[in-house]
Amino acid sequence: MKYAQLIRLLVGRELTLRYKRSVIGIGWTLLNPMLTSFVLWVVFSFVFAAKLPGQQQFAPYLMAGILLTTFFNQGVLASAESIAHNGGVLTKIYVPPQIFPLVAAVSGLINFFIGLVPLALVCFVSGQSLSWKLPLVAIVGFCLALLVSGIGLVLSILFIRFDDTRNIVNVFLMILIYVTPVFYPLSILGPKLQIVIQLNPLTSYLDIFRWAFSNNAVVTWVDWLFMFSTSILSIVIGTQMFKKYWPRVVAML
Amino acid sequence: MAIIELKNVNVTYRVLMSKSGSLKELFRDAIKGTARVVDYVALQDVSFTVDKGEVVAILGRNGAGKSTLLKVLAGVLPPTKGSSKVDGKIAPMIELGAGFHPEMTGAENVLFYSALMGRDVNRVKERTPSIGEWAGVSDHMDFPLRTFSSGMIARLAFATATDEQDDVLLVDEVLSVGDADFQEKSKSRMRNLIEGGAAVILVSHDMRAVLELATKAVWLENGHVKMIGNPTEVVAAYEAN
Repeated sequence: MKYAQLIRLLVGRELTLRYKRSVIGIGWTLLNPMLTSFVLWVVFSFVFAAKLPGQQQFAPYLMAGILLTTFFNQGVLASAESIAHNGGVLTKIYVPPQIFPLVAAVSGLINFFIGLVPLALVCFVSGQSLSWKLPLVAIVGFCLALLVSGIGLVLSILFIRFDDTRNIVNVFLMILIYVTPVFYPLSILGPKLQIVIQLNPLTSYLDIFRWAFSNNAVVTWVDWLFMFSTSILSIVIGTQMFKKYWPRVVAML
Repeated sequence: MAIIELKNVNVTYRVLMSKSGSLKELFRDAIKGTARVVDYVALQDVSFTVDKGEVVAILGRNGAGKSTLLKVLAGVLPPTKGSSKVDGKIAPMIELGAGFHPEMTGAENVLFYSALMGRDVNRVKERTPSIGEWAGVSDHMDFPLRTFSSGMIARLAFATATDEQDDVLLVDEVLSVGDADFQEKSKSRMRNLIEGGAAVILVSHDMRAVLELATKAVWLENGHVKMIGNPTEVVAAYEAN
């Protein structure tokens, strides 16, 4: 593909530029999820740790949730913002605009994979073994990248058209964290609430992720179906919507 | 053979007649039935062709549609009606250094800019030192772009954009970059590219440069082609207006 080199350069820039003036550079990508998880661990371990079934440890359970929702939240925001952000280029040089949301999702995916290193460390420290199913995490990451790009493509159009979308999305993403079992076990909720949580696609992604790296969750075929269908649906709708509305929106850049 | 072919190109922007683009106001206006969409015609029935090696100057006042026309030619803005066909590689010099990033070094920016134009990154990597040298910024290539002066940035961008022989050059007022020496250098490089078979679309208010380089001139007024033809005649008519 003609633009493969461009995509590689842009992803590289996305991953390194953020830390250009920092001392430990990309080390923050390793440290960030650990620090966030540590704070939440201190806060919530008293409340929820004992509620986890079996021999499960709270720290890796929590950190998996942090890694996954960080990927989703930051990925969606970054890819939604990417078109407006690169408007200067897009109105001067012809580049397929979809490249920019895609690059944001791929960078998120790479950060997610880098985050598996500290996750393994936390597993080790808390005395939980990694599962042989670990490579399956790649599938979760890949599906999530599709989900993120699809949502990002739609939002990037809306972000240009309506300034308000940015605020609505921020609130929505915050709510989403709470309806995903990131720092609490599903079992502490009542049966009705559990259904609501299960209807959130991210719950399936997270369950498969936890199941894959450390048997930290129970997974059914419904989760797999939910994950695959939402990711494919998202990318299909996203690219179609983008194609349809881009000509109208490009004039607003 | 025509390398650029514009046929009845129309570009219409839909402009919403409300103060801001907020959702709330859109809903309110839609409910009241006061949301008014006005079509702003930026280009109307623009047709012309450009052959290999031709230099076409686009003249017109601010808001006449020159930039919109360049965007259509660059493939960035699809025409609302009509068709725009460009056969070959385009070097869009609509704004020098579009896509440059202040935190990246000069050399990195050269790579990025080239990749955005769809060039082969490996080839550009080898060429980077000579690009820097031609632009006169060799010593600075490994420093972030924010340490460059604006003249240096423009020179580096021009050097990068013109480093490869492309089929079509879209030039928007960029020949006035740098000092007199550099302007001479860049003009002679443009001539080389034209001799190499490149077609040039030149937007400029500098009538001297137009008369010097152009083989054809298009005068735009309010999105229409008011006059098209020999540069001397068109420039004379435009200046008399």
